[in-house]
Amino acid sequence: MELKPISGDPPRPRVVGRVNWRGLWTLYMKEVWRFLNVFAQTLAAPLVTALLFFLIFNLALGRAVETAGGVPYPQFLAPGLIMMTLVQNSFANTSSSILIAKVQGNIVDVLMPPLSATELTVGFAMGGVTRGLMVGVAVLIGLLPFAPVEIHDPIAIVYYAFMASLMLSLLGMIGGIWAEKFDHLAAITNFVITPLSFLSGTFYSIQRLPEEWHIAAFVNPFFYMIDGLRYGFIGHADGSIAVGAVLVLAVNAVLMLWTHRMIATGYKLKA
Amino acid sequence: MQARRIGVIHARGLWTFYSFGLFRALRFGLEALVGPVASGMLFLLVFSIAIGGTQDLRGGVTFLQYLAPGIAMFTLIHSAFEMAAFPVIYDKIEGIIQDPLMSPLAPWEVAAGYALTGATVGLMTGGATLMLGWAFVPLPMHDPAVILGFAVAAALLFGMCGTIAGLWAEKWDQLSVVDSFLMLPLAFLSGAFFTVHSVPELGRDLIAMNPVFYAIDGARFGVLGVGDAPLAVGAAVMAALDVAVAVLVWRLFAIGYKIKP
Repeated sequence: MELKPISGDPPRPRVVGRVNWRGLWTLYMKEVWRFLNVFAQTLAAPLVTALLFFLIFNLALGRAVETAGGVPYPQFLAPGLIMMTLVQNSFANTSSSILIAKVQGNIVDVLMPPLSATELTVGFAMGGVTRGLMVGVAVLIGLLPFAPVEIHDPIAIVYYAFMASLMLSLLGMIGGIWAEKFDHLAAITNFVITPLSFLSGTFYSIQRLPEEWHIAAFVNPFFYMIDGLRYGFIGHADGSIAVGAVLVLAVNAVLMLWTHRMIATGYKLKA
Repeated sequence: MQARRIGVIHARGLWTFYSFGLFRALRFGLEALVGPVASGMLFLLVFSIAIGGTQDLRGGVTFLQYLAPGIAMFTLIHSAFEMAAFPVIYDKIEGIIQDPLMSPLAPWEVAAGYALTGATVGLMTGGATLMLGWAFVPLPMHDPAVILGFAVAAALLFGMCGTIAGLWAEKWDQLSVVDSFLMLPLAFLSGAFFTVHSVPELGRDLIAMNPVFYAIDGARFGVLGVGDAPLAVGAAVMAALDVAVAVLVWRLFAIGYKIKP
């Protein structure tokens, strides 16, 4: 066989600019396909659970609690359930993705490529945001036949839905990086995320809580997220929308920096 | 030296296999025991805040009194199902299901070992949920024998159902499909959280076909002394289902469904 001299320029390494856009996009798409591959578990199951919750809470409370927040109970409940499902799924997505990658050892596949800590943070977080928002929209559509949905303030809906899914995605990353076993993650889910998403006003107006608990609600970002999203639909809020907007933004900024530090220092990720 | 003689029931082997399964489950105590009890209590808390506990149902029973045994049975059923299914599918994936299959345990004894593990964990979590609920909600505890009877029947039934689901599922996500699309709807739409009298006629007929309804209603009768269905009907349904599912799970292990080549 005759060898020909190589003609033309030799291949050059790809120049990566300030932001590795292609790498970031690839990581993001990997995160999205990861959950779309098992959509029965990641999209359909949360939808069914949310519909079941809607049904049992209406059947159980329908007679005793006719109105809440100035609207019929089903209309009050729907935004709460959308937010509850959204936060649980955003958290589940990033935490399981990182923990599984750590346990199986393929976390090196995202640590080795030329992706900065910022790009890793954003790529994983946006995957979680995408799942949270997709599930949220699915629950909204699923509830449409049962609860009249009026949109009072679309900006509040989009802002709070995005901020909530981002917050839980970042918390999920922190949890996934910290956890060493699936039990650790299950403990966080069972004892932190589920109680907070249940007790922060998903199913009842916060005014039903005893007086001394109000203060606890007003420093709880979950309360503001549920309240803010609900305001976007029904136009009634228990707390202050502006305070909530600033608080969730501040919490997200802190979590973003924290996650970034964890990845940059390689906490439990790099030897 | 003679081979050890094994009677009609290989009691020592069955006990060994069962206690192995139980210790393995209890090693994950936080997840297997505390988690389900905590989420049961969470449900009770959410409902009590949402409703205030003032609404009276038939027979002078408050809504929270009605709810507490329902949630305890819900926890029992779900726990029994999961803690029977997880070990089966884990053993299949890891290949260690060969260990009990190779031992001189009869097929029904292997099935019983798995199902009883789930049933025991379910009785533990359900019992703890009922006791904790009792601490907050006054419960008359009308007839402890009825409570125990229905609790054991339900724990066995869903322990065996979990064993079958574990045999059928080849991957973890298949099990979670059964859980999300079959078990949770059955458990939620059973009258655990609401009385069937608040449901329209058609819904009531559907609930009457749900085995979980009879399990919960029977145990609730034992706790409160009032139920939605006649106690004898509930007992008959539970007994018939227990026998039918026991035969099914025995046959599946005997023919080696998905576990023998």
